[in-house]
Amino acid sequence: MENLFDVSGVSLRFGGVVSLSNVSMFQKRGEILAVIGPNGAGKTSLFNSLTGVYQPQEGTILFNPKEKPQLSIIGKKPFVVSDSGVARTFQASRMFNALTTFENVKIGAESHKGIGVLGAMFRGPATRRDEHTSDEHTWSLLEFVGLKERANIIASALSYGERRRLEIARGLATNPEVLLLDEPAAGTNPSEKNELADLIRRVRDEMGVSILLIEHDMKLVMSLAERLYVLNFGSVIAEGTPDEIRSNQNVIDAYLGTASEEETDNA
Amino acid sequence: MKFVGVLFILSELTAVITGPPGNPTHQFDGFKGSISQATSLLGLVTAPRWIVFFVYGILVSLIVYLLRTKKEVVSKALELQRSASSNKNLRRIFFSAVVILVVLLPTLVKDAFWQNAMVSQIAVFVLLALGLNVVTGFAGLLDLGFVAFYAVGAYATAWCTGALPLPALFGLHLNTFYAIPIAIALAMISGIILGIPTLRLRGDYLAIVTLGFGEIITVFANNLNGVTGGAMGTAQVPHFAIHLGPLNYDWGIPPVPYYYLTIVFVGIFMIAFSLLEHSRVGRAWTAIREDEVAAESVGINPLKYKVLAFAIGAASAGFAGVMTAAQTNYVTPATFTLGLSINVLVLVIFGGMGSIIGVVFGAVAIQTVTMYLIHNPPAGYQPQDLYMYIGALLVIMMIFRPAGMIPSRRRSRTHASSVSGQE
Repeated sequence: MENLFDVSGVSLRFGGVVSLSNVSMFQKRGEILAVIGPNGAGKTSLFNSLTGVYQPQEGTILFNPKEKPQLSIIGKKPFVVSDSGVARTFQASRMFNALTTFENVKIGAESHKGIGVLGAMFRGPATRRDEHTSDEHTWSLLEFVGLKERANIIASALSYGERRRLEIARGLATNPEVLLLDEPAAGTNPSEKNELADLIRRVRDEMGVSILLIEHDMKLVMSLAERLYVLNFGSVIAEGTPDEIRSNQNVIDAYLGTASEEETDNA
Repeated sequence: MKFVGVLFILSELTAVITGPPGNPTHQFDGFKGSISQATSLLGLVTAPRWIVFFVYGILVSLIVYLLRTKKEVVSKALELQRSASSNKNLRRIFFSAVVILVVLLPTLVKDAFWQNAMVSQIAVFVLLALGLNVVTGFAGLLDLGFVAFYAVGAYATAWCTGALPLPALFGLHLNTFYAIPIAIALAMISGIILGIPTLRLRGDYLAIVTLGFGEIITVFANNLNGVTGGAMGTAQVPHFAIHLGPLNYDWGIPPVPYYYLTIVFVGIFMIAFSLLEHSRVGRAWTAIREDEVAAESVGINPLKYKVLAFAIGAASAGFAGVMTAAQTNYVTPATFTLGLSINVLVLVIFGGMGSIIGVVFGAVAIQTVTMYLIHNPPAGYQPQDLYMYIGALLVIMMIFRPAGMIPSRRRSRTHASSVSGQE
């Protein structure tokens, strides 16, 4: 399998604050990959760099969509990145609160078509056909994530777990090749967590969408991910399968703190 | 007892504020007058103003008290209204009644002042409010220079018809009808030109830049003597006229024909904008308004849609400019002030941002009140008091119907969720 993401030597700074330093990683097509690390390690900055929200000063990020030329993400606007097949969710779920669940997902399904003001005003046959396909796509996704019964409810009235699933459906509606999930399990209860893990696996298995995941819940990450990267202070400190990560001394140090670090602090 | 005291002070303050003005030689005349002048109390008895206003205060607080304690009455009335508005047949009957009323209005209102006001002060402001609603209500962009597009429409009309010092296109003096598409197109183009550099800004910054743009247009109109005719403007814009074979009709001076022409266009804009609102474009606007970062992440290009909102909003303002120019024959910079931009914004906020029916209602209601105060000023009313009353109306509306008189369904949802403290 070829690489979907090829990240090499990426550094991101805000003034003097280094958010990412010399990060290199890759993701294979069809892989469930996770990025873990303590708070402030740069996980979300990495996501924002992968989706065009932030522009790293150094390094390259290459994305290899199917049947399209390789795309360098740095310098591209987020909506261009989304067009080429990268979908994402946000840490604090960001939905369009004034719209219904259905409309939220439909926006994702129709955003890659042209604007068509005249079409929208006059409702020609082409516009109606477009609307029809978007509607069907939206319904099938709502069914897939289990929100079909909540289709006509305002997005802000959904529970946390439902919001997470709505965001996943909205991301999938853009027909992505990879879905970036930023702490999807935050604020969900244990049974919702299990459902979520099943959903994420189904996204990969049934829709063929690769998954890149940030998560704090270790149980969830270790059961889902096939490979992990560990970030600390903006650098990759470990890479490997869940078993390898569990026994990696660097990772244990990063999460628990080290005796030697305290000593040097005191000195 | 404390309550009565506060009530008394508030009532007397109102009496003083709304009373006759003072004069420089006898500084306290206005004050004395507003306390002691005799006024009629609801047309029943005549009493000094301080008593009359205190009685008004008591009456208002009684009504508020009754509304508070008899909550079930209010909620029942609201429920009735809700069930009525959800009933399709009732709604159809109501809308047809409104349409018939609008069509028959010139035959019911014979007064020359009102016939003129219906076109130049109400229908034109409905058009402006509809346009600003697209920008501010749908796309959530605060535009304080909306008057610029109105000015572009008016000056474009004057230009095409050869009324400006600037020579018209190919020296042709077009019929005012042909000015309509040209003026709308020019207004839309100016929307795009203003939009592309400025719409990268958000919120307050955008408001300031648009404010500047509105002022720039006024300054241009005032000072480009060779192009716009300067501060005097032009008074030679021809009326609308049709000369097509057997069809020969001249709009002339009476306002009624303009009224019908304008309401036809109001209808067209209302239908077009409501189709847009419920299309892909309208959903994208809502998405950008709600959360621009999330909208970008699902592939919406915010700049493109914002510029689109500016251009479409400018279209109806441009048409309003054509109507004003053609009806009054005049185009002068004095019309296109910052005050007018804010006035239009008030209409949109009062009616309900994002709600087409709402902004039309808001424009008709507020402009009618304004015109009424100008035409039949009540005792003690001064023209400069106008915005005090409009301001009070807005404050009351903000307390009781914060999303507008007829809120948009989408907007009120956001509002409800922000009140209940959810994200």
